[in-house]
Amino acid sequence: MKTLILGLGNPILRDDGVGIKVAKEIGRRLISSSIDVREASVAGLGLLELIQGYTKVVLIDSIQIKGGVPGEILPLDLNDLKHTIRLSSPHDVNFATAIELGKKLGLNLPREIRIYAIQVEDISTFGENCSPSVEKAISGIAEKIIRGENLAPSVPAD
Amino acid sequence: MASGKAVDAVYHVDIPEAAKKLRELFYCAHMIHSHIAHFYALAGPDFVVGPDADPAKRNILGVIEKVGLEVGGEVIKHRAYAQKIQEIIGGKATHPVCNLPGGMSKAINEEERKQIEEMARSFIEFSKFSLKLVDDLILGNKTYVDLITGDTYRHETYYMGMVDENNRLNFYDGDVRVVNQRGEEYTKFKPKDYLNHIGEHVEPWSYLKFPYLKNVGWKGLVDGADSGIYRVNSLARLNATEGVPTPLAQEAYEKMYEVLGGKPSHATLAFNWARIVEMMYASERLLELACDKEITSKDIRVIPTETPTEGVGCVEAPRGTLYHHYWTDEEGMIEKVNLIVATGQNNGPMCMSVKKAAQGLIKKFQVKEALLNMIEMAFRAYDPCLACATHTLPGQMPLEVSIYDSKKNLFKRLKR
Repeated sequence: MKTLILGLGNPILRDDGVGIKVAKEIGRRLISSSIDVREASVAGLGLLELIQGYTKVVLIDSIQIKGGVPGEILPLDLNDLKHTIRLSSPHDVNFATAIELGKKLGLNLPREIRIYAIQVEDISTFGENCSPSVEKAISGIAEKIIRGENLAPSVPAD
Repeated sequence: MASGKAVDAVYHVDIPEAAKKLRELFYCAHMIHSHIAHFYALAGPDFVVGPDADPAKRNILGVIEKVGLEVGGEVIKHRAYAQKIQEIIGGKATHPVCNLPGGMSKAINEEERKQIEEMARSFIEFSKFSLKLVDDLILGNKTYVDLITGDTYRHETYYMGMVDENNRLNFYDGDVRVVNQRGEEYTKFKPKDYLNHIGEHVEPWSYLKFPYLKNVGWKGLVDGADSGIYRVNSLARLNATEGVPTPLAQEAYEKMYEVLGGKPSHATLAFNWARIVEMMYASERLLELACDKEITSKDIRVIPTETPTEGVGCVEAPRGTLYHHYWTDEEGMIEKVNLIVATGQNNGPMCMSVKKAAQGLIKKFQVKEALLNMIEMAFRAYDPCLACATHTLPGQMPLEVSIYDSKKNLFKRLKR
């Protein structure tokens, strides 16, 4: 059983990079050869290429929903994305479509795909640091994901 | 890649030949990766499934249903190959970390070279297959040929692209050539002189600027010889050349122009076809570079010794000519930046294409649901990267079409 922790986002667009920071924090705390931690700035077909061969994938990304509290986690799964199965951008296909494609092609896709979306505040300013409320939440989010996905053993946070 | 070249220019350094070749090799893989996605996942649904097909079927899943699962596997495999090559050279495929002022951060070894050579041979076979798919599914269908060559998706503009010393296609280095509506050379310039040739018009209703040919002048969103509107991206690039320097791609280039009625072609939807011609060129060039004796050379960097000042870097990005211009202090800290990106340069043409498609498709108060997609096809052909061009991140792509009568009363609104 091989698990991939995949942090997504743009690391130089403040809170947009929170998924990558959380994934790195998880990677720092885990000691297991069966877990890979990676970061990526891709979507759609690019994601499909990255997740092949893993039994389980945990995606961590940023989200902005109305009324959301910065730093809050929204656990999602593929069913939450089902309604978007169509060409939604002139530039790429969305993740749900890519997964459907992978299934049709018989690719070796993960049995389980978990998605953690982190509510963010600022995704329009260039910078390597998250906004204070999101930055403060990173350690706690990493711990919650480790526990929620049974990713132990882990080492304590600093 | 443009930024890497701009930094070399800032430090006034000419990089070693092997480093140029490695960068070009990387860049061919990048071009293939992008063009595969656009042709199969984005334009493919319009031509393989049909421009007015049910939106639920008009996606890559519909394409696979029609052309077969095996083809889907080949698409994914070759996308992964292109990523792999970029990873070998650049450390990682997205946001690579290989370009340094003066060259590259690491060389490739013989084992990596062999891997790349094998993948390049596979790209050529896949490009042959893709060109055949264009023949069978698109050219074999009169409705599609009429759609591509008809007036609804046509503009007579200037075209810009990078060329080598023989005016042939080059993605990585060369001069910038502009041809007019008859395919004659209008101007050719060194990338560093781009500000003498490109002006930027601003409209209050758009985040994006409207680059235009300064010496022709801004005449609004109109085509023709008196308007400075020009186009970049695949077909524009091929229009701006006198040929392609590899044999199979040259053959495909000649065939394309024969079907389109000569060069230049003004058919916006043919940008999709031109991508496959370019994919063949990138595949052949990639193989040439992978077999080049110098490609495993360790002589990949010279250490800059000059004081950094100012520099321009220019490449052909998949979506068109890309300019990076940096001004730095004497320690190399950037003080000012100017970027002219491909989607920005196609901003005016995209607006014109949407208008013309709408005018051509709405007749006698008949507005069909398929109109949304057929208008989208007009700007999708440019493969716009709007998030990059405007620095906004819309996530989804909402589309709303409002149709007004001649007295400007709202007649109908379609949206998704």
